[in-house]
Amino acid sequence: MVNSSVRTDLPTAPGLARSPWTWLLGVLVLLGLVAWVYELGHGLAATGMRDVVSWGMYIFTFAYLVGLSAGGLIVASSSEVFHIEALRPLARLGVLAAAVFSAAAGLMIIPDLGQPIRVLNLFIFPNWTSPLVWDVTIITIYFLFSILELWVMVRRPEKKATLTTLAFIGLPLAVLLHSITAIIFGLQMSRPWWNTALMAPIFVASAILSGTALIVLIAWILQRYNGLRIPAATWRWLAGLMVMALFVDLFFVASDYVTIAWDNIPKDRQVLDLILPGGPYQLTFWFEWVVGGVIPFVILASSKLRAKASNLALAAALILMGVYAFRIELVIPAFVNPLIQLPPGTSLGAVSTSGSFQLIGHYSPTWVEYLITLGLFALTALAISIGYRRLHLGRNIQEAAEHVAD
Amino acid sequence: MARWGMVIDQSKCVGCWTCAVGCKAINDEPLGYWWNRVLTTEPDSSAQVAAPATPAVDVPHGTYPNLELAYLPLACQHCNNAPCEKVCPVGATFRRDDGLILIDYERCIGCRYCVAACPYGVRIFNWGPAKREPNFVIGYGEEYRTGGRLVFEPVRPVGIVEKCTLCVERVDANEQPFCVDVCPVGARVFGDLDDPKSEVSVLVNDEGAEQLLAELGTNPNIFYLPSSHPNKVSD
Repeated sequence: MVNSSVRTDLPTAPGLARSPWTWLLGVLVLLGLVAWVYELGHGLAATGMRDVVSWGMYIFTFAYLVGLSAGGLIVASSSEVFHIEALRPLARLGVLAAAVFSAAAGLMIIPDLGQPIRVLNLFIFPNWTSPLVWDVTIITIYFLFSILELWVMVRRPEKKATLTTLAFIGLPLAVLLHSITAIIFGLQMSRPWWNTALMAPIFVASAILSGTALIVLIAWILQRYNGLRIPAATWRWLAGLMVMALFVDLFFVASDYVTIAWDNIPKDRQVLDLILPGGPYQLTFWFEWVVGGVIPFVILASSKLRAKASNLALAAALILMGVYAFRIELVIPAFVNPLIQLPPGTSLGAVSTSGSFQLIGHYSPTWVEYLITLGLFALTALAISIGYRRLHLGRNIQEAAEHVAD
Repeated sequence: MARWGMVIDQSKCVGCWTCAVGCKAINDEPLGYWWNRVLTTEPDSSAQVAAPATPAVDVPHGTYPNLELAYLPLACQHCNNAPCEKVCPVGATFRRDDGLILIDYERCIGCRYCVAACPYGVRIFNWGPAKREPNFVIGYGEEYRTGGRLVFEPVRPVGIVEKCTLCVERVDANEQPFCVDVCPVGARVFGDLDDPKSEVSVLVNDEGAEQLLAELGTNPNIFYLPSSHPNKVSD
């Protein structure tokens, strides 16, 4: 072991088992499991999805989790590939986040399946024309790669050449992961809202954006509550990464808006009208463009505001909300107005007092979906907390930080 | 090898839903499930562009006295370039050599990617345990396999996707799909599109039957004669 000089002046936090944080997360995970058992008993009828809006919270959360897993690997690999010393303290944390969130993304798919027991069919009978199979493959590779890189970082830190090689593989792998996840949506001509060549670039930009914001938030929590000191230069780099990604991401989204608005093709325009101010899904617009757009942009662009780490954390939190809103905006409105939208509509696969047809799609998640999703988020937080302790990342961050010039 | 197809004559369709109800009966579709529906539309408009005049069925488009009304019977289009088949991650949806798009109930994992990918909105997911009134099997009643794969059974598992099979069990027994048999006005014609002398081929090649959302390139085996069709034929 290289870390022979164990520092004794590091802050000590209560053990994981005694921390109220752990207990809260544990309870949330448990509630998620209870909700999943309920869903297994009742089928997906327990969710708010039906035959018109047939994908919901699980899928937009899946896309969100995939995005979050990117930032870590991008931050970690960038420090190596582009020799950004200031990002080195967060390299291990970044790879840990990549591993945890890619696993979480994979897990998120399970409750969305009608036949979760058949999930292995994905590996037994893969149909290689399906973007979903490409995505399962790349997520699996990405997860295993993150675990491998983390192992080398923690157990074989003296192998500099290996680490450099891994960093050079990691960066394109992260880009590929997001492109393929985007392609699940982007190739579908049945959904004009998805069917844009910009989908992969948008996913890569929003992944760098939300992934970096996540690292910022975790780093700030560690600095604020665990007494770690993150160098000012590291904060500057993270702020720069976020503001660039935010600009590029919103620029791509705006390019799509303009194309649709000008062309005015009915089925495309219908979706835009759902999202833009005044439409039924305008909340996602406000969160994407104002709460998670203009406000964090102002914070990050102002040299005075971005000098404070707590402001960066605020910007990161807002960005995380904005990107989540974007995922909702991407998935749900695409289903609301099907290509063939004629009375009486699509049959719902259920009978209710309002009949068994729906002309305009409607979706609101049920408590089952909220609890399962929340439980999975809690599980990722728990995994990051445990990984952080077990891998002694605090000590590593502090040691690496000493080599960073403010 | 035949390539099974159907031509639906919108100029004959009266919007009675007999084909839809017949389909429900023969295939044991539970309450709230419709493999086959009869949509209210207007003549000669692309289905993709026609905005519904009202959410109600049987309401004509236009302003009195210039009213127009037509029906679009809609079920699986059995595409030759089927998006559902391409996106299915486990190959549960497959295309038989004779053009039928079928679902292997034993392999489907219920991811619903096909539901998102189908431009026609004709795929139905089993969200929960099905309800049937009356609660006994009234249709074909037996499981049916083709190439060893389970493509029909009266009570489908929860959590899988189902849809029109073009009555595969009847077609394999040299019968017509049930919707063709029960149509009271003979608006549906079934046959082999690879046989140039078949009635469906003549309607497609000489009478101008068209595919739905043809611009998407899905190349369905189901064709439509527009509601203005008889006027176009001059004898």
